[in-house]
Amino acid sequence: MSEKIVPTKTLNVCGKICPYPDMDTMTTLKKMNKGEILEVLLDYPLSVERIPRNLKKQGHKLISAEQISGPNHRLLIEAHGLK
Amino acid sequence: MTAILGGLFVGVLFGFALQRGRFCMNSAIRDAILLKDNTLLKGVIVAVLVGMVGFAAMAMGGLVKISPTAFFWGANLVGGFIFGIGMVLAGGCASGVTYRTGEGMVGALSALIGLTTAATLTAIGFLKPIKDYLQTSTKIMVGEANPTLANIFGLPHYVVAFGLAAIIAIIWIVVALKNREKGEKGSKVSLGKAIFKNGWSWLAAGIVVGLINMLAFYSSTLAGRSYPLAITSGWIGITKVVLAVPEAKMGWDSYMVLGIIAGAFIAALIAGEFKIRFPGWGMLAQTFAGGLLMGFGAVTSAGCNVTHILSGLPQLGIGSLVGAISIVLGAWLAAYLIFVRPQNAK
Repeated sequence: MSEKIVPTKTLNVCGKICPYPDMDTMTTLKKMNKGEILEVLLDYPLSVERIPRNLKKQGHKLISAEQISGPNHRLLIEAHGLK
Repeated sequence: MTAILGGLFVGVLFGFALQRGRFCMNSAIRDAILLKDNTLLKGVIVAVLVGMVGFAAMAMGGLVKISPTAFFWGANLVGGFIFGIGMVLAGGCASGVTYRTGEGMVGALSALIGLTTAATLTAIGFLKPIKDYLQTSTKIMVGEANPTLANIFGLPHYVVAFGLAAIIAIIWIVVALKNREKGEKGSKVSLGKAIFKNGWSWLAAGIVVGLINMLAFYSSTLAGRSYPLAITSGWIGITKVVLAVPEAKMGWDSYMVLGIIAGAFIAALIAGEFKIRFPGWGMLAQTFAGGLLMGFGAVTSAGCNVTHILSGLPQLGIGSLVGAISIVLGAWLAAYLIFVRPQNAK
């Protein structure tokens, strides 16, 4: 399903340490328009669980979270448009 | 032999639980203000409560002897505060960077080297006079004993431990029931998958870490050490052996920290989460600097986050209470300056 969605922007936070994957994702989403899609590529287990948990508080929507291989994950997030 | 086998065994279990529970106290403390996310913090509190009741019960049964850390308010305050700042820079607490090294995170390894270096320099090197001055000039005792929330009031340890744990648990349950949200039911997975593949819930992680800490207390007592889990002292012990310091010996805690890396490595491997992750040179420098601050802070305050929060608070030590509060304040200040303020300015 998520294959058809074309992300507006891609953010690669692989290798980053705690809490940069979360912070970078949130700051990027803040700057995006409502309805735009952010693709996040990450490999940090804690953030794979923590980002989806905290998206809602900012009004963003998780479209999909998939495991690519091992710790490598891909999140698709719809921005709430706080700009 | 009890030191080697007991330490390694407990360490492997602890490392496994830390990796599965993503149990990092830096995240737990920092996220409360940074992401308004209390998930890990709840796990830490559960682990402290399990320890509080468990240690008291074990002490009543004569299995262990309650051994609170020393109270030297100046050293606890300064060391704890610097430790708290350091762990935010390092991206992990003392246990956090230890277990993440086993996950293959190079940034954590760099923090760990910083921690070990500064800890050793503060314990036996050129930073020792600062630590000694802060510790001896502000030390307070109750008679011959290190002060605890029990002995300063002249109460038996178990009364205060059971009472305090019960009060915290009741308040928590009342608050939780009031704020109850309709949680989404998790999908059913097999037990094996839940343990080995998925991340653990905060409750499961907290209980397991608390139980491992009880086992640690007993196992280390058998090895003649008499303290639950601790991180920094273990790394100092290893460094002393490597540097061939006279009479230096690998103790229970040194085998335990090596076990953590092994346990986290095994857990990450089974879950398919092991990967060598390189965060870039700038970040390596930052985590190393954070590690240095943590090492100095831990030795000065006579305890890292594990010694003070996970093992010290359950034993009601005043030194650990002051150390723990200072760690939290230092972490919050650093999180505010590094993450919250720049974000608000944008």
